[in-house]
Amino acid sequence: MGCGSSFPDRGSRHMGRPHPEDGGGHDARNIRVKLVLLGDSGVGKSCIVLRFVRGQFDATSKVTVGASFLSQTIALQDSTTVKFEIWDTAGQERYAALAPLYYRGAAVAVIVYDITSPESFSKAQYWVKELQKHGSPDIVMALVGNKADLQEKREVAVQDGTEYAEKNGMFFIETSAKTADNINELFEEIAKRLPRPSDIVDYATSKLPPDVLAA
Amino acid sequence: MSETSSSAHDPEPPIRLNLPPLSPSLFDAEPSELQQPNGSAVRHSSDPSSPTSSGYAGERGSSTATTVSQVEDILHNEIQEITIHDPQPLSHSSWLPGKRHSDEDDASISWRRRKKHFFVLSHSGKPIYSRYGDEHKLAGFSATLQAIISFVENGGDNVKLVRAGKHQVVFLVKGPIYLVCISCTEEPYESLRGQLELIHGQIIVILTKSVNRCFEKNPKFDMTPLLGGTELLFSSLVHSFSWNPATFLHAYTCLPLAYATRQAAGAILQDSADSGVLFAILMCRHKVISLVGAQKASLHPDDMLLLANFVMSSETSEAFSPVCLPRYNALAFLYAYIHFFDDDTYLMLLTTSSDAFYHLKDCRISIENVLLKSNVLSEAQRSLIDGGMRVEDLPPLPHSGSSHLGQHRLPSDSPERLREPDCGIGGAAGLWHFIYRSIYLDQYISSEFSSPINTPKQQKRLYRAYQKLFASMHDKGLGPHKTQFRKDENYVLLCWVTPDFELYAAFDPLADKALAIKTCNRVCQWVKDVENEIFLLGASPFSW
Ligand SMILES: Nc1nc2c(ncn2[C@@H]2O[C@H](COP(=O)(O)OP(=O)(O)O)[C@@H](O)[C@H]2O)c(=O)[nH]1
Ligand SMILES: [Mg+2]
Repeated sequence: MGCGSSFPDRGSRHMGRPHPEDGGGHDARNIRVKLVLLGDSGVGKSCIVLRFVRGQFDATSKVTVGASFLSQTIALQDSTTVKFEIWDTAGQERYAALAPLYYRGAAVAVIVYDITSPESFSKAQYWVKELQKHGSPDIVMALVGNKADLQEKREVAVQDGTEYAEKNGMFFIETSAKTADNINELFEEIAKRLPRPSDIVDYATSKLPPDVLAA
Repeated sequence: MSETSSSAHDPEPPIRLNLPPLSPSLFDAEPSELQQPNGSAVRHSSDPSSPTSSGYAGERGSSTATTVSQVEDILHNEIQEITIHDPQPLSHSSWLPGKRHSDEDDASISWRRRKKHFFVLSHSGKPIYSRYGDEHKLAGFSATLQAIISFVENGGDNVKLVRAGKHQVVFLVKGPIYLVCISCTEEPYESLRGQLELIHGQIIVILTKSVNRCFEKNPKFDMTPLLGGTELLFSSLVHSFSWNPATFLHAYTCLPLAYATRQAAGAILQDSADSGVLFAILMCRHKVISLVGAQKASLHPDDMLLLANFVMSSETSEAFSPVCLPRYNALAFLYAYIHFFDDDTYLMLLTTSSDAFYHLKDCRISIENVLLKSNVLSEAQRSLIDGGMRVEDLPPLPHSGSSHLGQHRLPSDSPERLREPDCGIGGAAGLWHFIYRSIYLDQYISSEFSSPINTPKQQKRLYRAYQKLFASMHDKGLGPHKTQFRKDENYVLLCWVTPDFELYAAFDPLADKALAIKTCNRVCQWVKDVENEIFLLGASPFSW
């Protein structure tokens, strides 16, 4: 693949400097996209995002409150840049009624399960259905089997993931946030599948800014 | 030992920080303290039947809970059957030995050796939270606790405190949720109960009180999935019981900052409050830089504590989350926009609107610009490094002109720097530490820890001692002015409570009483001199 060196955007908590994120130049080569991560608690959503955004893995992960908002920009080989605005959600059991708050208007949904947990795979399927019903019609969905480093504990076959993804028109990949395996590939692949500015549908509501902006 | 008494002073006019000088006569009017040979103190409670008369004893002193029958303690010697005798007055309650638990997990030695356990369970006995161990495996134990609670409830009285040997078991019933603390730390009942209240509050922060309705529909409702992934919030809250005085003072503390710096932060927060934000709070770790509330909205210090714990236990640089403030409205969610400017300093913007994220993000960007222009963030970092008030810097009393924090710190040979010749460490007259709580402001200031109280263990011990003082000073039925002078092998503790403020001070155990009292007056004067920098003025929740 070889595309995309990613560079940190708001990786760590640094001394505040203004983020010129609104009103920055958006053109066909600079895409901004809202991405939401969904899946059972404990499957590794936060670890995937932190690996992608900060290049780190911290096994003693902290709580995700509501939803954490992070962003990361990657450059594709065709020199397009894609800025991901990522909602890392938590506690969907708790805040089930609030989930649409985070996935509404999302252009991309990454649905994560843990390959050692069949329950998390069923939960992933629940999220796929939920998004098919209530998500943006053109949403790009990716199914991610995480913790691929735990091969000896695997309980969900690769085949199961592949088949389910195919049936639902999703992109499928197995990742390990721990070893960084396939993490960048996941986001690069998503970036490639995004509708390009020429064929963008604006599904923003009046209250939210457009999720994919182009000049 | 220690006596609590009221003095018949005329009430002071309610002027902020107006100090009636603390005089030795205030203490001399009281019976002098009794010092037990073993160094522990015996308390003559003004209300001997009070269920709260746990008494004060040095950490290693003998227990004064002599009303308790010495039953086998439930953690080290398994209990077989539990009978509650004479549940009222509560301090007479006791547990009798009973049937042995067969459950392996609550029988495990390490589990039993912990000094303090917290449990949360549902009224049907389903475990919700346990400080140590997997709460699911403790189902047998939860059922036991639940049986006790039912027993007492059926007797028409809620069980609140049971003593078993050196253990206290404190119960708090919150609708269908039962909270239990088992402790051998000798903390007073009020403190432990307050801790259970905070744990319950943290549950409300996450779920709101409407979670109770789940139990109405299904008494056997399992709450653990709803709390999934939040263990860290509770463990950090429980940890804060031993280091954060806000947990028993019910007041918040501010990051020391120049008045103009705090004003600049307040002004920009006010702008966001005017644009529909309910509360705008800028904090540095657990200390407030500034906070602003919309018209009539008031924020309770306990809510701030729980909110800060919620945010600081989470991994985020920017987040948006439903959150409930139990003292503000326990039934409804608010929405919190959270942004960390650096590792320590963060902004919380609370609204009632669930789709305000982008609006709040814009608010934050303009707030951030102002904070950067007025150097608030760098000043906050500097304050973190510099610290706040140090007992070594206590200025002498005959003191004129304005004073600034740290003014007395720099030149150690400064003529202003007064040190009593006979105490090598700490501040004047052997002053080791103090906490000043302004009742009017809902805020407190705690001096920095310095030698000889410089290990976490010593700090925890001092906080526990303050906690006991606080509990005994807040016993009901005492007049407006109260003083207390306590001596044990660890410290001389001096406490002074007026309608405007409370001062808790710890001295070298060999400190001279008259000098210590004089020093307390100096501390109060010092706090008054630097109040602009250590308190957030004009933001009292009750004046909004
Ligand atoms: N072995 C392994 N553990 C992982 C991986 N990703 C996450 N974890 C662990 O799984 C737990 C939950 O991760 P977290 O990112 O908090 O899950 P979330 O609730 O979905 O956000 C943590 O203890 C991580 O250390 C992975 O790729 N491999
Ligand atoms: Mg997470």
